[in-house]
Amino acid sequence: MLRFLARRGLSMAATLLVAAIVIFVVLEILPGDPAVAMLGVSATAENVAAIRLELGLDKPAFTRFLYWISGLFVGDLGISYSYRVPVAQLIAERLAVTVPLALLAQMLAVLMGITLGVFAAARAHSRLDAGIMALSQLGVATPNFVFGILLILAFSLTLGWLPAGGFPGWGEGGWRALRALALPAFSLSLPQAAILARITRSAMLEALSEDFIRTARAKGLTRGQIIRRHALPNALVPVITMIGLQFSFLVTGTIIVENVFSLPGLGRLVIQAIGGHDVILLKSLVLLFVGAVIVINALVDIAYGIVDPRLRKMPR
Amino acid sequence: MRRALSHPSFMIGLVLTGFIVTIALLSLFWTPHDPGKMQILQRLRPPSVQFWLGTDQFGRDIASMLMVGARNALLVGIVAVGIGFVVGMMLGVFAAQHEGSLLDEILMRLLDFTFAFPAVLSAILILTFLGPGVVNAVIAIGIYSVPIFARLARGAALQVFSRDFIRAARLAGCSRLSILRRHVLPNIAGLMIVQASLQFSLAILAEAGLSYLGIGTQPPNPSWGRMLFDAQTYMARAPLVAVFPGVAIAMAALAFNLLGDGLRDLLDPRLKER
Repeated sequence: MLRFLARRGLSMAATLLVAAIVIFVVLEILPGDPAVAMLGVSATAENVAAIRLELGLDKPAFTRFLYWISGLFVGDLGISYSYRVPVAQLIAERLAVTVPLALLAQMLAVLMGITLGVFAAARAHSRLDAGIMALSQLGVATPNFVFGILLILAFSLTLGWLPAGGFPGWGEGGWRALRALALPAFSLSLPQAAILARITRSAMLEALSEDFIRTARAKGLTRGQIIRRHALPNALVPVITMIGLQFSFLVTGTIIVENVFSLPGLGRLVIQAIGGHDVILLKSLVLLFVGAVIVINALVDIAYGIVDPRLRKMPR
Repeated sequence: MRRALSHPSFMIGLVLTGFIVTIALLSLFWTPHDPGKMQILQRLRPPSVQFWLGTDQFGRDIASMLMVGARNALLVGIVAVGIGFVVGMMLGVFAAQHEGSLLDEILMRLLDFTFAFPAVLSAILILTFLGPGVVNAVIAIGIYSVPIFARLARGAALQVFSRDFIRAARLAGCSRLSILRRHVLPNIAGLMIVQASLQFSLAILAEAGLSYLGIGTQPPNPSWGRMLFDAQTYMARAPLVAVFPGVAIAMAALAFNLLGDGLRDLLDPRLKER
């Protein structure tokens, strides 16, 4: 077990390092002179020189890379070029929006997806099943930002129940903040819930066809008992795999959804950093997103290894 | 053929795809109005006989813009999926041919690694480097789909290589290339085409997302994602302006998803989702 953990941890660290190198190369080395890229064609020579000094471009690339990576460990990511604030501080502020948003969306997706999937499987090949599956097809095909706009139309502009965008901050009371996150989380969760519903349905059908279900039925258990106690727990393994995979979609989904709802989170910051040609900010932000995905994937793998020792062998 | 006709999701997918392709082709010759023509006096009009789906904030005809947008979406899909399909298949089959070699190992590790970069993020990274625009968006989406096709092709080709008829063909003196062309490629084509259809829908969604964020297709070229973004500002006054492009995006993605699901069932009944 320890060996498995060590090996998985090491491979995660290696992937993170390669990811950091790729990001650094793409953002700082490939564009030629990042100072010119940041300032645009109309830049004066003095401005370019000043920004070169700020970026540390007078030093070799390898030194700059090491400086950035070592800064990551002590929380010193440099000063954002466009905001004039430490990058670490900017990211910390924005995390308070993006993390609750992603968690809320994941919760909604799991709740809706599993419930619908179980209902569809319990009434397989009925009209209810066909209806749920048709809805899930639509859900998979509709991107979260389209859902977002439709939800704003319905719940903000027409019914006036929820705000159409913006974020009051947590200081104004949790309820107001949660209300601001409700529609974004909902639109983020709908496509994921649709995928989960499909996976849950097919896993449930698989489980329901097993022999132990027949035994349970012969014992005289009710339909509800069979589904709750025997079918659902057995169907959960593929469902949990999907939830793990989905979390990375949710994390990157925040990039678009935060822009739909003008939420001051990390996703909006990415687009603002691109707009402001803020390479200093952007490289740490992108690494944060990619790092989150890599760490989540590793955690899902480790969870499997704990649940099922056969899976401790590294996948090829 | 009869099986195809009686397969509901395949037929719905086929009809929807046919509709979108027809609209896109038609837009090459005819649109109800000039999609670029601004008529400020006619701005944000509701649907009418003159403007079937109404007008946008510049008084441009939405129906005409959606038609040209369909062309844009299909082109993005064709080129992006084409890049992924061709490059991915070559890499995958090549890796399968050299299974277990160092090259195969390196290739597979590289592909594993690209999965750590989520689609939107890698597209953003590539677009930051290449600059915004529809051509670069297509390249970004295409690059992202290479590993998906490569893995699929490798797995499928490995299976084909282990079959007896390949050994027979080798013994009969067929060259490597002719084995690939006559035996391997036809046998993995079905699987690849199914994946291509599903990737097509993802490509359309990705382009719409990038254009919504302002780093995909640039104005004045009509793009469904960009139309949605523009419409959001005027949504309180003209809600339908935002609804139509959203419906178009979802319909196109749905069309290719259903087509892919249907093709999968028809080409290989064993893979049928229960």
